Amino acid sequence: MIFTEPKRYYVERRVTERMTATGASSFELYFARLRADLQGEIEQFVNAFTINETYFYREEHQLACLTSELLAARLNAKPRGAPIRIWSVPCSTGEEPYSIAIWLLENWPYVDEHDIEIVGSDIDTGAIALARGGVYGKRALSRLSPQVVDRYFTAVDAESWQIVSDLRDSVRFTRVNIVERAETQPHGQFDVIFCRNVLIYFDDLSRRTAAENLFENLLPGGFICLGHTESMSRISPLFEVARFADAIVYQRPSR
Amino acid sequence: MPLIRKPPPAGAQTGPAAPDSAAVFEALARGTDDERWAAARAAADVPGIVPALEDALEREQKPVVREALFSALARIASPQSIEAVVPFLRSDDALVRTEATDALLAAKEAAWPYFAALLRDPSVDVRILACGLARDMPSDVAVKLYCDVLESEPDVNVCAAAVEVLAEIGETAALPALERCATRFSDTPFLVFSIQMAIDRVRSQASGSRA
Repeated sequence: MIFTEPKRYYVERRVTERMTATGASSFELYFARLRADLQGEIEQFVNAFTINETYFYREEHQLACLTSELLAARLNAKPRGAPIRIWSVPCSTGEEPYSIAIWLLENWPYVDEHDIEIVGSDIDTGAIALARGGVYGKRALSRLSPQVVDRYFTAVDAESWQIVSDLRDSVRFTRVNIVERAETQPHGQFDVIFCRNVLIYFDDLSRRTAAENLFENLLPGGFICLGHTESMSRISPLFEVARFADAIVYQRPSR
Repeated sequence: MPLIRKPPPAGAQTGPAAPDSAAVFEALARGTDDERWAAARAAADVPGIVPALEDALEREQKPVVREALFSALARIASPQSIEAVVPFLRSDDALVRTEATDALLAAKEAAWPYFAALLRDPSVDVRILACGLARDMPSDVAVKLYCDVLESEPDVNVCAAAVEVLAEIGETAALPALERCATRFSDTPFLVFSIQMAIDRVRSQASGSRA
């Protein structure tokens, strides 16, 4: 891999992410850890650089957990007929909320029996515009089977595919800054929130604020899924750990 | 397709209204769990709220609400709000002590002027907690504070806490204080060992950064 000068910010972000994940308080300490390959850090480091673009079905185990455990738990707690609300925040260019939609359509037998509302939100309006357009390259689709691509995408050209209009029309995209309560509250309360790989970039106070905002955006008993390098126990005591076969997620206490 | 797209929930098109100060004071004092939470979240924007937050913290039994109360004080980040948090470092409840520590860390620069005094607090437990707090200060200031601990602190566990931080942030300027502390506690093998580890680490970092 070659990273030229314009990629400096990208490289700094990935190194900072790994320093945060490993608890290294200085670059020197982290570099020593990397050179010693402590706890397989070289692989983690390389992974941090290769998952530079998000893609469909990323962290698939959480999607599996959604359909194997989380939705059933939420339906048990909800009034009959109430819609299931799922929030992908930040949603970047839309791969995650569309992944959730496709995963549900493909893997949840009860998908026709319930109203399911999926909202994707991001602070970056450029990313939201791309998400609404729903056009993706080969790399983003690499984990989808050809059959799934055929069902939910139409080829734009040899290198790009667009989400079918029915599916694009099913996901609502909004702008949000998750540390601004005035922006998060209008989104209402959700059954499940996917909030992956963003809290680790915040300072302590912003992280507290974001965690409290997300707590308010979850229905009592609702679940929040974080990125695999994140732990809510280091972020906020507001949530309880919920361990399932497919994933460890966090839950707003029922009461 | 069973997926639906709906407008935002009715009545939620805008963010929370500006807090009604009187209602926040009232809810903090006598509200339900949900009302106290909402009041705590709104409190940072209410003038003169710090004494009410401090009173509310004294009474509050719900950890979730307490978290929001501490957050409000961290967000206000005034001398008065920091002074409201500090006494909770002395709580009998370990959870409350941790919450207060996290709030002071979140308050960042606003809390820094209090750390030197906390490192000289009569309570050993508070001095140990303070060792964890000061690590985020600018390194030259922090190293000086930790070296002062190593030179004069009578409790071995407080010194050990300072050594642990110095092993991470230490500079060569800390080496003499580390060596003198090892001499002072030469009959405490675990501390001597920790100090030697810290010295080796500081030296290796210094030689690494020169390379």
